[in-house]
Amino acid sequence: MSTYRQELKSRFAALGIIVVIMLASLFVRLWTMQVLQGDAYAAKAENNRVREISIDAPRGEIYDRNGVALVTNRAALAVSVDPSEDTVRLLLIRSQNSDTADDPTKSEIEERFSPLADLLGMTASEVWEKVSDTRVEALRSRVVAVDVPIDVVSQLAERQTEFPAVEVDEIAVREYPQGNLAAHVLGYTGEISDKEFTESDSSAGYELGDIVGKTGIEAQYENVLQGDKGWRRIEVNASGKAQSVVSEQAAVPGRDIKLTLDIEVQRVAEKALADAIAEAHSQDFDDAKAGAAVVLDLTTGEVIAMASAPTYDPSIFLGSISTDQWEDLTDEASEYPLTNRAIMSAYPPASTFKAITGLAGLEAGVTYENKTYTCSGKWTEMGEQWPKWCWNHSGHGTISFRSGIEQSCDVVFYEIGYEFYKRKEEELQAMARSFGLGSKLGIDLPGEVKGRVPDAEWKADFNEDYPEYQMWLPGDTVNMAIGQGDLLTSPLQIASVYGAIGNGGAVMMPHLMLEVLPGVGEEPTVYEPAVAYETGVSESSLAVMHRALVDVTTEGTALGVFRGFEVTVAGKTGTAQVANKDDYAWFAAYAPAEDPKYAVAVIVEQGGHGGSVAGPAARQILSQLFGLEIEQVHTVDESR
Amino acid sequence: MDKTPYTRFRNAVNLPLVIWTVALLIYGSVMVSSATTGMGSGMLTRQLVGIAVGLVPLVVAWVLDYKVLKHWMGPLLVGLCILLISPRIPGLGYEAGGATSWLQLFGVRLFQPSEPAKLIFIAVMAAVVSEYKGRIDKPQDVLRVISYMGLALVLILMQPDLGTGLVFVAIAAGMLLVGGMKGRWFLIFGLAAVVAVGGILLLDTALDNMAGEDVALKDYQKDRLLVFIDNTRDPQGAGYNLAQSKIAVGSGGVSGKGLAAGTQSNLNFLPERHTDFIFAVLGEELGFTGAVLLLGLYLALLISALAISTSSRDLYGALICAGIISMWSFQILENIGMTIGMMPITGIPLPFMSFGSSAMVTNLGAVGMLLSVWSRRYGT
Repeated sequence: MSTYRQELKSRFAALGIIVVIMLASLFVRLWTMQVLQGDAYAAKAENNRVREISIDAPRGEIYDRNGVALVTNRAALAVSVDPSEDTVRLLLIRSQNSDTADDPTKSEIEERFSPLADLLGMTASEVWEKVSDTRVEALRSRVVAVDVPIDVVSQLAERQTEFPAVEVDEIAVREYPQGNLAAHVLGYTGEISDKEFTESDSSAGYELGDIVGKTGIEAQYENVLQGDKGWRRIEVNASGKAQSVVSEQAAVPGRDIKLTLDIEVQRVAEKALADAIAEAHSQDFDDAKAGAAVVLDLTTGEVIAMASAPTYDPSIFLGSISTDQWEDLTDEASEYPLTNRAIMSAYPPASTFKAITGLAGLEAGVTYENKTYTCSGKWTEMGEQWPKWCWNHSGHGTISFRSGIEQSCDVVFYEIGYEFYKRKEEELQAMARSFGLGSKLGIDLPGEVKGRVPDAEWKADFNEDYPEYQMWLPGDTVNMAIGQGDLLTSPLQIASVYGAIGNGGAVMMPHLMLEVLPGVGEEPTVYEPAVAYETGVSESSLAVMHRALVDVTTEGTALGVFRGFEVTVAGKTGTAQVANKDDYAWFAAYAPAEDPKYAVAVIVEQGGHGGSVAGPAARQILSQLFGLEIEQVHTVDESR
Repeated sequence: MDKTPYTRFRNAVNLPLVIWTVALLIYGSVMVSSATTGMGSGMLTRQLVGIAVGLVPLVVAWVLDYKVLKHWMGPLLVGLCILLISPRIPGLGYEAGGATSWLQLFGVRLFQPSEPAKLIFIAVMAAVVSEYKGRIDKPQDVLRVISYMGLALVLILMQPDLGTGLVFVAIAAGMLLVGGMKGRWFLIFGLAAVVAVGGILLLDTALDNMAGEDVALKDYQKDRLLVFIDNTRDPQGAGYNLAQSKIAVGSGGVSGKGLAAGTQSNLNFLPERHTDFIFAVLGEELGFTGAVLLLGLYLALLISALAISTSSRDLYGALICAGIISMWSFQILENIGMTIGMMPITGIPLPFMSFGSSAMVTNLGAVGMLLSVWSRRYGT
């Protein structure tokens, strides 16, 4: 019996030891977790419960030089879907895990989103596409539709229980009080693209789903307009529902911008462009559909107006643009309305370039104001087999250099060009470059083109694979002298050239920013005018050219355009020949002649003659600039 | 020898056991109150009512001479079977969390029959084991004893309630240890269990695939076991509970975040926080200090129970105590262990701490049985 007792005792001891070991193991484990690793777990708990939600900063507004609002913000009613609602979250989890077999089926999506989609006039899969957009921050409500009609909103509110997870919020969207006016300059906004996001500076704090400037001023001054995001740290529970706000920092609104544009001049410029296209149609140039106009303050480089036709409505990019709308805007038949032709398109400058050829000739001593030339209509200096024609086939007879500008006589400039060819100094190209041609002027807009100033080196490179076309020929310089050949310039460049002739030889840096309006307690940032190119052309040469350009509007090819105009204008018509197209109509000018202030360039693609189509548009713009009555003149011009 | 009132009291009441029990009940009520912050005040009241109701079986078991149980083998066995089968009877069972382990009558949830069944099981096993007078070695004896456990286990797994099944195994193991089963049998059954679990997991997966549906072991049970092996597995699903409760306990640090100030529990990250995961709340809010206090109270309680067990005048009483010690020990190990990632997740309550009347009544009944053994240690 005593052994039994003994045995029993040892078994109780065993049981006791098991109990102690068990409790000791729990103790050790708790020691490691709570004492040794407590801080790490505490950090995890903190991450667990606190989520950061960013608060968008209101985007800066854009005004014209007189303070007229061009782009503002307005509240729009947006219908969004809360991704943390149970049924939505479940579908999202299934669509996001790697197992595609588990993805929500079409009928499940229809079942969940059809009622909302029907009300919004969308399809269930369109709604799902927006809800399941993984690029949006996990906790952010997914905006499904913007600018929802008020009756739809009230239905959603009344029948709330039928639409779980659906929220109606006010969000800020861009508003365009001036409609389409200056759409190309202002640009449009849209959701940041994957590419823009990865390329953005990480310190700027962009998140997918953010609205950013895509083109124009909106893109150029994105960092000014965007502002600084605020954030709100919220405590959430296990299902992601917000419980309370832990801390928050208010957003710093984007800065407002004042542009150099004068919206009234802009309005006239766009109207003048439309009128010019209509005028071209009336002259049987039926393919005239596009054009551009640029108005500069030639003393500062300020862009007073910049128009491009055809145009577009920037408000269609609100929310998100539909595929159909996008295709319409980028279709060839639409003439690419998103392109700002004033800076993004390069054309042969045609006779507007004769001012540069002339200045080059004067500076090189190749010609002088009263040097006489003989124009028989046909020019055969390069050999009988390569005749060149003046636009006036019957010839100008004996004609001075100055009259050559006035009448836009091609033969005068063939002679000058041929002389430059023979001198082999590429002085014509040098003059063109000194006016900024062939390179970007540096306007504060994205997408500016360089244009092209052709020379021997360029031609050899360009025809790398065609040795027989590599040699620079006399005809190349001769064609360039009348602004044809391989020479290409943007309307902005031509306006700047005429501005430089008008202001005494300095190509001002064209710019649109006038000032960044200050935030509270800040100084405004005012743009300082700068010279982009100092041409170095002598005063005497400029004076000759000035007199000749005044002759153009008072006696020459633009006489009809400016008949009765109360301000003296120095200008030049141009009619560019483009292969397989109708002629492109140009007009470039500066005024008033006595004390130049503004430079204007107008082009109408396939519009015919500069004097009859582009010139009248320039007259309308100048009338607005000088407070004169705006008239649409109808005149004839046969020159080039 | 004259019996003074004091010695009479000492004879009837094991003061340490009562003190530690009361301490645990207070501690548990405080934690339930903290864990149910925001659920309404009714939860603590329900817990206190559970304690009050539990006093009835405590007193009954105490007053009742435990030895009579030995002679009620037949009725007890029948009662055990009825309790374990009852949730499966149509109209009586209530399904929660994938298992039908609740009993309901006329739509009213009554209690979890597997809880009181533990005590009946202890009484039955004690009777069977004590027949061998401390020496169980013959294979047929071993098989007979084990078959009682097997019967109970099968009935529980039908619910299916894996966790409670394991409690029954632990109870039986502790009782067989004290009851004199030879060490090699423990080894044999231990190995058999490991092989069986591994085999069942494999076999069940194969069966599920063949049947094309979830047969035999439920998937959630398998998940819980597999998560224990690899706890990075599916953090939002089965691993989620484990990850969240580990964060809760770990983030409590040395001194905790304060009562009702646990972010893990109050923000709903912790599932079942006032019932199965009450320790995670304690660990988060009272930290290592509070956890050690609880472990200390349990150690004291179990030592008191062990002392009562050794004081028993017969093997039957000692076995009853051993069963109760095993039951509590395993539940403590399993429940705390699962919240800190040492044990697989099962739905086993923490004795005297978890919210829930069935367990409370059972545990207080167990205290009554211990007191019954204690008060009759000198014979009557």
